[in-house]
Amino acid sequence: MVDQSRARSVTVITALFAVLLVAIVAGVGLGAVSVGPTEVFAAIGRALSGESGPVSDAVIIDLRLPRVLLAALVGACLASAGVLYQAIFRNPLADPYILGVSSGAGLGAIIAIVSTTTATGLRYGLVPAGAFAGALATILVVVRLASRRGRLETTSLLLAGVAISYILAALTSFIMVLFRQSMASVVFWMMGGLTSASWRYVGMIAPMFVIGVVVPLLYTRQLNIMLLGDERASQLGIEVERFKRITLAFASLLVAAAVSVSGLIGFIGLMTPHIVRLILGPDHRLLLPASTLAGASIMVFADLLARTALAPIEVPVGIVTALLGGPFFIWLLVRREGVR
Amino acid sequence: MLSFENVTAGYGDTAIVRDVSLVVPPGEIVGLVGPNGAGKSTLLRAITGSADVHRGSLTLNGTSLANMNARDRARSVGVVPQSVEATFSFSAREFVLMGRHVRMTRFGTASAHDHDVVQEMLELTDTAYLADDPVDTLSGGDLQRLALAQALAQEPDVLLLDEATSHLDLNHRLQVLNLVRRLADEGKAVLAVFHDLDLAARYTDRLAVVHEGGIFSAGGPSDVLTPAMLRSVFGVRAVVGADPVTGSLSVTPVLREQDVPPESQGSVFIAAGGGAGSHLMGLLALEGFSVSAGVLNHGDMDREVAASLMVTRVDLTAYDTPPEEIRTQVLDMARKADARVVFAVPYGPANLANLEAAAAAEGPLVLVGTWSEELDFTHGEATKLWRSLQADSIQVTDARRALAAVRGLVHSEP
Repeated sequence: MVDQSRARSVTVITALFAVLLVAIVAGVGLGAVSVGPTEVFAAIGRALSGESGPVSDAVIIDLRLPRVLLAALVGACLASAGVLYQAIFRNPLADPYILGVSSGAGLGAIIAIVSTTTATGLRYGLVPAGAFAGALATILVVVRLASRRGRLETTSLLLAGVAISYILAALTSFIMVLFRQSMASVVFWMMGGLTSASWRYVGMIAPMFVIGVVVPLLYTRQLNIMLLGDERASQLGIEVERFKRITLAFASLLVAAAVSVSGLIGFIGLMTPHIVRLILGPDHRLLLPASTLAGASIMVFADLLARTALAPIEVPVGIVTALLGGPFFIWLLVRREGVR
Repeated sequence: MLSFENVTAGYGDTAIVRDVSLVVPPGEIVGLVGPNGAGKSTLLRAITGSADVHRGSLTLNGTSLANMNARDRARSVGVVPQSVEATFSFSAREFVLMGRHVRMTRFGTASAHDHDVVQEMLELTDTAYLADDPVDTLSGGDLQRLALAQALAQEPDVLLLDEATSHLDLNHRLQVLNLVRRLADEGKAVLAVFHDLDLAARYTDRLAVVHEGGIFSAGGPSDVLTPAMLRSVFGVRAVVGADPVTGSLSVTPVLREQDVPPESQGSVFIAAGGGAGSHLMGLLALEGFSVSAGVLNHGDMDREVAASLMVTRVDLTAYDTPPEEIRTQVLDMARKADARVVFAVPYGPANLANLEAAAAAEGPLVLVGTWSEELDFTHGEATKLWRSLQADSIQVTDARRALAAVRGLVHSEP
């Protein structure tokens, strides 16, 4: 029985890796100028071995590949953060966007952007740091607001998240008005774009992703037990408050990584874990890695759609995910009401 | 040994229980009983760290529980909660395996031994047949037994049960409590909150009555479960008797203190015995009549009910004719009453005094039941008295009609 479930996990994870590979090849290959899968692999091979190739190699290696990898990383970060929030709050409606964490990270990032007019190297360190500080501060405030005598109610959690989002959005707009000269780029970044993707961005958030997801992967058993409620989890030997704080810190790191390179992209963190849970069940040993991989694939496809649907116009990917995710969220809410 | 020494505990700054001292040694089941909100669950939650200990010391084998981290505590203390949250579709086996968390290394996976323990606990709690079912499809009773299996998988020395049988059917209630009894006999210390006093009396070694945040009384079930305690703690007049089958105490609540009208509606003298008068005594007390019952023998159901209802009476241990002064006392009771009710029950030398008193007194009279010579153990004396009473009386067949008759007789008086 145990071996059976392990075999299933291996199959699922392998399949999801394959899907992600397909997504990446498709993402790199398709666009204004399309190239076939063999050409994609050939170009990557040439780049790795240092051979010189045709001009199209530059498009593939310097433009498309970093963008697709960045999309995959952002999707993976948001989806795994969603899994963590949903586990800690025992609420399938929790996600970085709805909880206001994305907005908090956004505000932190914008403050970092407008306050560093000097070297961009400094900016790369400061933007994620600002985003992380903003994300962490927001989740702490939202949880504080939503707690009633130590209990977190779903409704008050969502209300607090939405209310805080509004306030943060207003502050963000205010800062943008103050710094009018950089408004256009900030607005586009805010809407959730990957247009400015570069290898430098990939290099910046890859370590944040690895740290943010590897540590929670070691704690999947504890995440499962948290689903039984705080009191029971404590009776079963989990230091609940400390565990929550640690997990929220890692989730915030993941959100900060995503937001600092791509602005506010909603619903990936909500949809992905939910779909994966519906199909694979609640066990975090599988749910967390599977959601991470699925989030990466979904994001790569969403970005592909954003680039190609209205070509040559490019839609910010945040709009695509919101158009897909919004109705999904409504369906979730309606379904929950129906169940009660 | 789990030990409370002058413990004051609560939530935040609010103290719920004050100055509680209590020990739970290995091998014993200690029961906590008391009204809702008295603080029973808070005592359990002080042990698990969910409630704050403000003062006093709460120790397990000499180590303060307050200084223990959750992991060490969970290795020693297993809890079966009142209700179990299971909104996620883990299988029952995975659910029970979560109890092994504290026995695994922090990042390790379940070993073959862990799986063996889980299987053993599933079988002990009779839930092995549920092992592959998703827990979110199971009933409250199944979940409660799985929570017990989960707690036992922790291999704790101390087991805390918070009304752990509240969702169980009759069969599983006994199964779980028999299992807990066995575990205690094998050396576990068990502290259990009970709402069912009969089960508490049957399964515990000692009981502590929790009332208004303190221990009202503690001791063996028979020392603790008394009509006086039930009246002052639960506000209930109840009969405490021995269960004929198990031999343990059995509590039958008769009426709530607050249902008794504050003003007396009149007084009634009852001549009964053998349990025949119990129902009417309860009905009369509920209506606010003060009741007297003459002489009653120990071991008679009517005496137990009369005691719980605080009915005026004289308790007898012998079946002989009672001495003169007792007979006078009984006559006095009958004379003072606004109405007399005489039941057709067996009369012998002892309770003949009741019949004599009813006959000697004057005023409204109700006879309940049909007389037969077989009821007479006084060589015709009782039969003669009954016949003499028949002339000027209302005759009814049961307690409810007797109550109606008494009501009419007493209230028609000027």
